[in-house]
Amino acid sequence: MHKQKYRVHPRKQSTSYVVANNNLTGMADDALFEFLHMEIVSHIYKEQQSGKGEMDNKDRAVCVSVLEGMGFRVGQGLIERLTRDSPSFKDELDIMKFICKDFWTKVFRRQVDNLRTNHQGTYVLQDNKFSMLTQLSSGKQYLDQAPKYLAFSCGVVRGALSNLGMESVVTAEVSVMPSCKFQVVIQKL
Amino acid sequence: MTVHNLYIFDRNGNCLYYNEWNRKKQAGISKDEEYKLMYGMLFSIRSFVSKMSPLDMKEGFLSFQTSRYRLHYYETPSGLKFVMNTDLSVSNARETLQHIYSNLYVELIVKNPVCSSTPSLDSELFSSRLDAFIRALPYYSPRAA
Repeated sequence: MHKQKYRVHPRKQSTSYVVANNNLTGMADDALFEFLHMEIVSHIYKEQQSGKGEMDNKDRAVCVSVLEGMGFRVGQGLIERLTRDSPSFKDELDIMKFICKDFWTKVFRRQVDNLRTNHQGTYVLQDNKFSMLTQLSSGKQYLDQAPKYLAFSCGVVRGALSNLGMESVVTAEVSVMPSCKFQVVIQKL
Repeated sequence: MTVHNLYIFDRNGNCLYYNEWNRKKQAGISKDEEYKLMYGMLFSIRSFVSKMSPLDMKEGFLSFQTSRYRLHYYETPSGLKFVMNTDLSVSNARETLQHIYSNLYVELIVKNPVCSSTPSLDSELFSSRLDAFIRALPYYSPRAA
């Protein structure tokens, strides 16, 4: 695999980079968001920490909820755009399948690997190569940093579900990167 | 056919990463001194090459060779310097070094939110991918020629 990847004309480095990443819509789109997301997370944590020496759990919770709130608004907008052309959904499970396939593909560039449910409003979505975590590590290194980079994505999922008519609570859990489990609990009002 | 070792320096001369695969003889000085020596030599030779070049220079210093090994040099526009020592059967490692930069360094270090604020190359993912990549090179073999 590596042999074909590095056969490149030195001056055409940027095009080879695009091909090597199989991203024919343009490398800049994905990288732009990735860097922006990294900056957003770092900015929010720095702001929360300014003035104090250490961050306690309350500060961390504030940061996570700010990121999640941002993701919520983004998810709401995204779902309006993505479901423009789809038919209406039959039931909850149908919506969750849409999230796992089409939505996940558009937003995270792959499909959810495994969807489990207890048929009583709780769903677990497992993504074995979650796109926000693949550059971090493949294993246990930096595990404690992972939640920072998942908060926004949790919000995106919650926002998408909210505009599809389902209020929910979305949390994420990681034990071995880059595999990640999102738990969605539908709130019955 | 083999790769002996690899250094990565940032634009200020700090050695960010070093690994060796097949080095039979050490320099006899501490690692810090070795990095300083390598960087200093590169700095001097690059300015020498550009001053003494009888023609307009395009890329400048690329590599030097001795009777036993060849040193390959690649500098990115952002000032990152990749230095690789191989044996004499490898004539041009520029593409390899470019690949290490764009597919490994940029992907796994620059895009790693934990690693990129202070350029520290602690990422195990980077080390293991780089190691696997070097070992998979067509000109790598565990025994030197």
